[in-house]
Amino acid sequence: MFRSMLEAFLNLFRPIRTHRYPAEEITLPTGYRGLIEYGKEACIFCDKCEKVCPPGAILFYQHEDGDKEYRYNPWLCIYCGECVRACPKPQEALWQSETKQHSAVKEEGVNEGWFVWEAACKESREEYARAKKAGKIQNKSEE
Amino acid sequence: MKKTIQIPLGSQHISLLEPIRFKFECENEKIIGVDADVGFVHRGVELACTRSFEFKQVGYVVARVCGLCAITHSLSYTLAVEKLLGYEANDRIKYLRMLMVELDRIHSHMLCLAHTAENAGFEALFMQIMGDRELIMDVQEAISGNRVQFDYISIGGVNRDMTPELTALIHKNLRLLSDKIDALIGLFDNNWSLSLKYKGVGVLSLKDAYTYNALGPLARAAGLATDVRAETNDFPYETLGYQMILESSGDIHARNFVRLREIVNSMEICRNIIDNLPVGEIQEKAKGKPNGEAVVRVEAPRGELFYLVRGNGQNMLERVRIKTPTFSAIPAMMEVFKGSEYADAPAILASFDPCMSCTAK
Ligand code: SF4
Ligand code: SF4
Repeated sequence: MFRSMLEAFLNLFRPIRTHRYPAEEITLPTGYRGLIEYGKEACIFCDKCEKVCPPGAILFYQHEDGDKEYRYNPWLCIYCGECVRACPKPQEALWQSETKQHSAVKEEGVNEGWFVWEAACKESREEYARAKKAGKIQNKSEE
Repeated sequence: MKKTIQIPLGSQHISLLEPIRFKFECENEKIIGVDADVGFVHRGVELACTRSFEFKQVGYVVARVCGLCAITHSLSYTLAVEKLLGYEANDRIKYLRMLMVELDRIHSHMLCLAHTAENAGFEALFMQIMGDRELIMDVQEAISGNRVQFDYISIGGVNRDMTPELTALIHKNLRLLSDKIDALIGLFDNNWSLSLKYKGVGVLSLKDAYTYNALGPLARAAGLATDVRAETNDFPYETLGYQMILESSGDIHARNFVRLREIVNSMEICRNIIDNLPVGEIQEKAKGKPNGEAVVRVEAPRGELFYLVRGNGQNMLERVRIKTPTFSAIPAMMEVFKGSEYADAPAILASFDPCMSCTAK
């Protein structure tokens, strides 16, 4: 018992083991799995990253002129790195950084905004496929 | 006139970490009957694995079943799928996977010890153990890149390699931890007030352990020699210094001691792994689609974790069945409660190290 009292007394002078987290930044270890970053120039739009992503945090929006727009939801992402491993051009088109995402606030529309976007992406694809099909039929009939 | 009273414990209770409800049938202070209900945190993981995710993604889904033994879940699933694909990992992959599982066991056991200390009214010890546990969490974070969700194991290998800096860090932290564990062993053995709460409380006899199929540290504390690590040869545990830890008295004290000694043994295994790490690739191609049925057992910190995976040659699996250690241990747990004092119930419960989110998944 006396030993534990001595320990308790000594503990007053030992360094504090907790972090004052929001007030002080925590140091992330090297190799922390952080945000996925994207470089449009190198991307070949193979959609592999979109297909492998478990939560569906990467989506491509299909524009009518054939361009694709990359969208990424950092709050949905689980930082598993599957997309980077699937990408044919890792480090150039897609890579994992060591930055930590700040927590979401309401204005960022994490849920609602993303649901709208998800639906828009799906629709844009279907629209594009339909337009392409129609175009093909037209081409054929012109021939 | 009715002689007994019913006292519920849970689903929300000050000493519970996760929702579980016990209904105790008590005669004065003695518990004579128990009824348990565990399904409060059901999330439908099994169904999601077969409806919403392709088999390559499921490994990341099942890791979310449990925050403590995430690595064991993804490992069991990956092993099952690899069996179906007819792929066997090379030694380096096996060693790295084992390393993570053993580190996981260390920190999970420490968490349990901390909670038993807390439920015996020893708040300061709880803080101290949780603080020391950071040593292992730091190592795991450095290896896998994240503190809780490691996402380290994928089909065909592991996602990150070992570096010399990591090896040094592991050695350093294990050395630091080893002194602290020695001190803890002394404390748990000799402290008088802890022994009041632990010794002779919540006894599970060897016969009951056998009858009710106890598993993990619960069974080993009663002297029942059951450990998946010794029963399967998915991993080369014997060559790396694994020892079966057995106690005989079956009370809370024995359970704590099984955990403490397993921590020491796991540290030994970890050291052996990083000193004898074979060379090789960390990712290999495992091609094909899972077809057929595979069963995998892995020793999680709490006991045997069981996975059944059935595929039909398609991207979507037909069935994923997860049987978690806590679920299998419930009959034995209920047996332990019978005959003990109601006031001891929280401490007994903590000593089982129950993981309700796993169980209800
Ligand atoms: S890291 Fe994982 S969750 Fe995040 S975008 Fe890539 S595949 Fe999706
Ligand atoms: S996998 Fe890589 S190249 Fe393909 S679409 Fe994604 S970022 Fe572009």
